[in-house]
Amino acid sequence: MFDLEKAIKDWRKALNKNEALEDGYKEELECHLRDKIDYLIGLGSSEEKAFEEAARKIGGADSLGAEYFKTDTRGASGHPPWKKSRWLPPLFSNYFKIGLRKIKRQTLYSIINIAGLALGLACCAVIILYITNELSYDTFHKDADRVYRVAVHRITLVGEFWDSTTPGPLGPELVRSYPQVEQAVRIVPPFENASHVLVVQNEKRFFENRVFFVDKEIFELFHIPFLKGNPQTALTNPYTVVITEGMAVKYFGEEASLGKTLQIEIDYDTGSVEIRDFEVTGVVKNSPSNTHFKYDMLLSMPTVVSNLPSFEEDWLNYHAKYTYVKLAPYTNVADFEEQIQKVAKKCAQIYSERFNRKLDLFEFFLQPVTKIHMYSHNLGEMETPGNWYYLYIYSIIAFLILLIGCLNFINLSTALSTTRTKEVGLRKVVGAQRRQLIWQFLGESFLITILAFIIALGLTSLLLFPFNQMAGTELSLAGLRQPVVLLSLLGLLFIVSIGSGVYPALILTAFNPVSVIQGKVAPTSRGAIVQKFLVVGQFAVSIFLVICTLTVFKQLNFMKGRALGFNLEQKLILRVKSNLNHLRRDYEAIKKDFLQNPSITGATVSSSVPGDRTNSGYYLTSRPGDLTNAPRLKVITADYDFIPEYGIKMVAGRPFQQDVGNDENEAYMINLAGVKELGFSSPEEALGKSFMAHYHGMTKRIIGVTDNFHYRGMKEIVEPLLLDIEPSLLNTITLSVRAENINELMRFIRTKWDEHFPGVPFEYSFLDENFDREYRYEEQMGRMLGIITTLGFIIACLGLFGLAAFVARNRTKEIGIRKVLGASTANIVAMLSKKFILLVLISVIIASPLAWYSMNTWLQDFAYRIHMNLFVFFVCAAGALAIALATVCIQGIRAAVANPANSLRNE
Amino acid sequence: MAASTKPMILAILANREIYGYQIIQSVIEISGGTLEWSEGMLYPVLHRLEKENFIQSQWKMSENGRRRKYYRLTESGKKELEKERKQWLSVHKVLSRLWDPLPAFD
Repeated sequence: MFDLEKAIKDWRKALNKNEALEDGYKEELECHLRDKIDYLIGLGSSEEKAFEEAARKIGGADSLGAEYFKTDTRGASGHPPWKKSRWLPPLFSNYFKIGLRKIKRQTLYSIINIAGLALGLACCAVIILYITNELSYDTFHKDADRVYRVAVHRITLVGEFWDSTTPGPLGPELVRSYPQVEQAVRIVPPFENASHVLVVQNEKRFFENRVFFVDKEIFELFHIPFLKGNPQTALTNPYTVVITEGMAVKYFGEEASLGKTLQIEIDYDTGSVEIRDFEVTGVVKNSPSNTHFKYDMLLSMPTVVSNLPSFEEDWLNYHAKYTYVKLAPYTNVADFEEQIQKVAKKCAQIYSERFNRKLDLFEFFLQPVTKIHMYSHNLGEMETPGNWYYLYIYSIIAFLILLIGCLNFINLSTALSTTRTKEVGLRKVVGAQRRQLIWQFLGESFLITILAFIIALGLTSLLLFPFNQMAGTELSLAGLRQPVVLLSLLGLLFIVSIGSGVYPALILTAFNPVSVIQGKVAPTSRGAIVQKFLVVGQFAVSIFLVICTLTVFKQLNFMKGRALGFNLEQKLILRVKSNLNHLRRDYEAIKKDFLQNPSITGATVSSSVPGDRTNSGYYLTSRPGDLTNAPRLKVITADYDFIPEYGIKMVAGRPFQQDVGNDENEAYMINLAGVKELGFSSPEEALGKSFMAHYHGMTKRIIGVTDNFHYRGMKEIVEPLLLDIEPSLLNTITLSVRAENINELMRFIRTKWDEHFPGVPFEYSFLDENFDREYRYEEQMGRMLGIITTLGFIIACLGLFGLAAFVARNRTKEIGIRKVLGASTANIVAMLSKKFILLVLISVIIASPLAWYSMNTWLQDFAYRIHMNLFVFFVCAAGALAIALATVCIQGIRAAVANPANSLRNE
Repeated sequence: MAASTKPMILAILANREIYGYQIIQSVIEISGGTLEWSEGMLYPVLHRLEKENFIQSQWKMSENGRRRKYYRLTESGKKELEKERKQWLSVHKVLSRLWDPLPAFD
């Protein structure tokens, strides 16, 4: 007998199978079923048949349930399935929240972690900015690729030279005779040894040393933006000057400077010095730091011509002139270079006719202006050229710092993530798929890495201030805007975030959730070896840097104090720029006056002091009146005290002496290089030989030969030199001082100065400081290395600190138990530190030979170098160990001192 | 379920408040028996339309003691109905021209 109610009840029960069918739905469906059955029965069907048909019509529980399910569940995006989520991948907001929460919870470690990476990035960024700046010299001029400097390559008796300077008439000649030359300009520094030019404006008197004579077309070649005045006409007339805005403020303050006058004193090498009014016809922006031609004032070339009419015709005038040309587009540079050799030949011919001596080689060559700073190492460069070697070194260092920072970050992130095995297990249990977890972890590390990058950006701009001070540069964040840099930063971002996320993402998520939650998987079991590698790596790099830095410093100190061939300690240099007649007449009396002060142990006057780029020279001939074939020697005129005061060694004969004969009128000294230049085969042979100098027409005998002393500094070869007692060229006083009380001494000197040279600006310098400027790049490198090494070390220590803290925390229970069992603090600290100390030792062992090898290679470049001794290595190793020990111990002590009851309570 | 389900349900509920079974009956009536929906599938659709707030439901007790769920249009449902009506009318126009090349009077 068919039981309708029972059938319906069974049918209802069948609906229960599908969980998606809620009670309400089931009731509604049952209602429908009954209505249908009633209807069919009303049509005459039997109960059984009615039920069957009705049930069939409604459909199965599964398909119904599926439909309801689709409606009821929301996708991971929070939207019903028919509404696709917009652009955020699913669960992104969740990951973001979790990421932030994670950071908040592990604040200390996160801060250390992020700080380390940010610091490393910032250092790297600063170095990169510096490098790109160095490589960008002179690229900002309009059409810079068409601007070249003409330089000279010549071979004489003394050797082969490349000169940056060229004869005066060359510029105009090139424009006249060669259609490829759109424009040629000359830049002429002030004459003679006047590296300083006196500039006066009312009460303001200063010596300026970035003053040049220039042709008015210079603004077509070099990008010199005008703030006031007209570039076309500014330097057309004689006695006009264009100044930078810095100079305008210095001399005129807030007032407008255009049209006002400055009084400038120039010595045109004619023997007399005069001070004249120059009208300010233009104000330009300050010269940027990334150019080899740095200027403060530009004087008009017609000024020179009106004072030295022969300037435009004299092909032999030795005074430094820099000639630049701008070539027409599509000019074949090689062809042009060949064509101008015609002019070179003419030059050489004039020279050989005048001196009856043929030059072995004299040719012009072209240097692209953009390559001057980094590639040109001629004589007479406008400023110290850049150095590829150091750029390479800096790049390597930047890379190393970056490496330390990133390794550190990855290491610590990985370590931190090992505590999250339980979290992973739980997520898996509630249904997270492995893919989702991988994205989660990668997303978190991405977030943290971005944070570090942003902080690094801020740090970089902070670091740039002191760096610019130190290096004399003007770096700014704008330099990072180049596409290459941005792309590599982006790439780095990805690499670091993936690197720091790969362990948790791939390895952690693979664990079986059940066993993890049950605690069967120890958090630190995997990846410990990788961690150890990373710690060793960081420390090895840091120690390497420290050793190198110390070695560089030692070498620098050595070079400075090295036998330059003369004493440069404690030498105070006073330049007499005006009122020279008094000096030249009465220098003995002036010296005596200074020597009254017991702190001044010696005094001498000369035409230049060691380190000056002196160009003065005599043509010497053994046949009076006949200057054909006359060799030219550089000259320093001096007094009797010059040789003893500077401690210059003699190799033959004797120095100037007051009481022996008439040295003033009859004696010369030459140096060892001069011996060969004059054609003698040995110093002894030169003694007693007479020469007439073109300068004063007097014939004197060589009475002594000095050793080659580096009167032009360590980097230049020692050229032939003549020493003469000739007052008319004197302009410098050297005082040997023994400074106990510098202030008092300076006051005394100042007083005496004002007595003897009233109105002349008092400018002094110490000779050893002047020489330090020679080593600008080495000094810079030393300082940079020092700073970077310190920072690199800090980063490594931060990493170690974080890691040690982390490890200690993981072992708190163990420590608690040991304490309870009677271990002392010392025992515990030792136990914790042992592993780390071992790692640091390994770093030392790895770093030392590498450092030794690198430094040895670097030192080969120096003719005079220190010997590397093991002392440096021991100091570094000991230092590194001590710092590492301290770092780890702090953590150890913290852990050891904790109350064991607290740590054990969490069971 | 076919896309035409939605406008049909909305239209049937345009001025009425009825329950599921009655809706099915209406469809069969209006279509003259040509359209027959699988009956159970109506209810998830109603459920969805309710979630989208086009219709709203109310349980009511009937005379014979059965609880039935009654549905009617909401305000936004009325708007949606109008929207659907326009859409389907334009579809209809195009299809008519395609099927019957002779000009038709709209």
